[in-house]
Amino acid sequence: MLFPTIDFALFFLVVFGVGWSLSGKPVLWKLAMLGFSYFFYAWWDPRFVLLLVAETLIAHVGARRIHATDDPVAAKRWMWASVGGLLGILGYFKYAGFFAVNLDNLLRAIGLGNLIPLIQPTLPIAISFFTFMAISYVVDVYRRQLQPAAPIDLAVYLAFFPHLVAGPIVRGSELLPQLRRRRDPGRVDYSRASVLIIQGLFKKVVISSYIASAIVDPVFQSPSSHSGLDALFGVWGYAVQIYCDFSGYTDIAIGLAMLLGISFPMNFDAPYSAFSLQDFWRRWHITLSRWLRDYLYIPLGGNRGSEAEVARNIMLTMILGGLWHGAAWTFLAWGVLHGAGQVVAHLRRERRAAKGLAPVVPSRLHRVGQVLFTFQFVCLAWIFFRATSFSNAFAVLGRIVTGWGMGSNLVTPMVVITIVAVLLVQQVPTRLGERVATTWSNLHLAVQAVTLALVLLAITTLGPTGVAPFIYYRF
Amino acid sequence: MSTRLDAAEAERPLPPRRPRTLPWRTVLGLMAASLAIWLLLDAVTLEHNAEVSPVGTRRTVALVILRPLAAISRFTQVARIESAANGALGRTSAGSGGHTFVVIAPTTIPSSSTKHPPIHPSVTTLPPDPLTNPTAANPLRALLVGDSLGLDLGGPLQNRLASTGVVAATLDGKESTGLTRPDYFDWPAELNRAMAQVDPQLVVIMMGANDPQSFLGPPVVNYGSPQWDHDYQHRAVAFMREATSRGAKLVWVSLPAMRDPALNAKVAHINALQKAAAAKVPGVVYLSSDPTLSPGGGYTAFVTQGGQNISVREPDGIHVSAQGGALLSDAVVRAMRHDLGIPIR
Repeated sequence: MLFPTIDFALFFLVVFGVGWSLSGKPVLWKLAMLGFSYFFYAWWDPRFVLLLVAETLIAHVGARRIHATDDPVAAKRWMWASVGGLLGILGYFKYAGFFAVNLDNLLRAIGLGNLIPLIQPTLPIAISFFTFMAISYVVDVYRRQLQPAAPIDLAVYLAFFPHLVAGPIVRGSELLPQLRRRRDPGRVDYSRASVLIIQGLFKKVVISSYIASAIVDPVFQSPSSHSGLDALFGVWGYAVQIYCDFSGYTDIAIGLAMLLGISFPMNFDAPYSAFSLQDFWRRWHITLSRWLRDYLYIPLGGNRGSEAEVARNIMLTMILGGLWHGAAWTFLAWGVLHGAGQVVAHLRRERRAAKGLAPVVPSRLHRVGQVLFTFQFVCLAWIFFRATSFSNAFAVLGRIVTGWGMGSNLVTPMVVITIVAVLLVQQVPTRLGERVATTWSNLHLAVQAVTLALVLLAITTLGPTGVAPFIYYRF
Repeated sequence: MSTRLDAAEAERPLPPRRPRTLPWRTVLGLMAASLAIWLLLDAVTLEHNAEVSPVGTRRTVALVILRPLAAISRFTQVARIESAANGALGRTSAGSGGHTFVVIAPTTIPSSSTKHPPIHPSVTTLPPDPLTNPTAANPLRALLVGDSLGLDLGGPLQNRLASTGVVAATLDGKESTGLTRPDYFDWPAELNRAMAQVDPQLVVIMMGANDPQSFLGPPVVNYGSPQWDHDYQHRAVAFMREATSRGAKLVWVSLPAMRDPALNAKVAHINALQKAAAAKVPGVVYLSSDPTLSPGGGYTAFVTQGGQNISVREPDGIHVSAQGGALLSDAVVRAMRHDLGIPIR
């Protein structure tokens, strides 16, 4: 069930009504939310609900065993067994086909072909998201940062439908206490939630859909047939498309949870205003960045150790972060680019510090240059993220470098305005959403209802008839 | 006393205005009212979208809800708001989302507006036929048509044809379409329009995986009946005749095998009907995708070429991957060369 559909709107009205009417009965509320969440997930393929249940059971049993033992070795074994089980499920569905093909190709190259059975499992939607949440839960219990939750709490935590299919990747310490706390049915924060949902719908239905069909898809579909200007704007357009698509989804998810009295962490903070790659990762998919930091980078050693060790930790984290998005060499290349960029920046900082020099305080112009450079580097990496293959990526890059002899047929004024507007808005700190929510919520209720309906009409009219699934559903 | 209090009250800073919160029942009423108003405003479009959606319970329920709303919307003239908005955007209420129409023509290739080279009275020799001698200056005009599977082929094929430097290819596709539901997307009308616009010498078509469903009529013709087979083949023949009516050659590409056995049986049935139709229309080359995408005869996600495994299908078991599309494009180009004698490489 996609968020921007009538099916979902009707589903949510029922969830909202039932949820709040059960707010005084916590167990029933949780059972209802679990049922609704499983129904929501089963809308795509009911079989995969069993997968969600299986991961919940693995996380539950592992956490209970870890908590029950005083033996650190046994606790560690249970932690690894649970994490291994969860990664095994993720690995089979997401990576088995990829590794089998590439291993078989390697064996064929040395004359040992046909040893590996080639498989192509159907990829369950959102498996990467709920698996990472389950892993964080088990590890947090192992680290004594979290008490094991009741089975129903854990099940709701992993399956809660607003975050289920594309995050944010919420920590147990963030969501589990909220599930136990009583929510105030007399104070629903509906105006902030409505603004977030409308903002998310606009980003997804209007901007992302438009820019994808107007320039991004044609450029990546047939790069050799388009000019260098088309290709350049196609890449910038993809940066805008994926931002509007993913942050739009997150806005809707946060707004929906807010309507149910649940608070989610922020996932985006104007990422294209970043002045460095490190800054970018503090602003883009924040909940994944901190997951990778806390459960991969720091356990690998983090910033401790020699320059080579730190560089290895950064590269491994970014490469695995790339592969988290999908089993393809292009995602790996995306991770390598981000990793290499951060390693270079880290080494420059370290060398400067070793010489006893203070960190550079950039002038305003210097900062603008840093933002522009970071954006272009991020766009370079996006080419590999979006491309269907390396040859496709290099064809797009090739057009940007060499395709300046022919006219542009995709760079229209509307395309330019859309891209520039989305990028510029991120450079200006604003509390516009808060102001809109305040003004709107202080209007008469009837006026609020009519304006909300008119805004919905505007979005559905401006958007295409059918809305493509969110890009991050695939991950 | 009272005056002093009022003065103190006036001096006290006002609390910052914050977004209001409300009791959940009020919020539920607000959301339901907004949704109802929006449904009323958008009812005509939503009714149309429901009518053209796949036959089933969801469609039936949607129509039961939306038909009265659309009637109210029309009666009260509320629908005018939406149609005015659509009119301002240059759209019909039915919308045009998801329709791909991409023209790929190098700058040396004449655009569709100048597709017919002007014939000067003093010129006595006509340019050579692009079917037998396509050049950059006088390219072969190709029209690539299809549903989502047709787009899986069409994108890579458009790229492949562009790489020849002597073909101007136009891709005309729409997902979730076919020949069964002209109420949703009228392919014969669309093909007629595209033929007039592009005036192709070659048409390549791949579609049909969405077709195993009843004709809504009237009269309703159930999928699986002999009448349905007869009618479908008739539609396919008419479609092929339209594609070849201006002297264009047609390459009709068969649907690949599907992973789901039930869908695979339906697709095989559609393929058989299309193949029979192709045999009735002169100028049609029927190209089976099996040797490229299903060399063993059944569904396979991978094929081996040059000693390497190539993933030719998407994980959904239905669609063709970019690499599979590229391989199938090579097969189409081979068919153009061998079956139609078009000298391209």
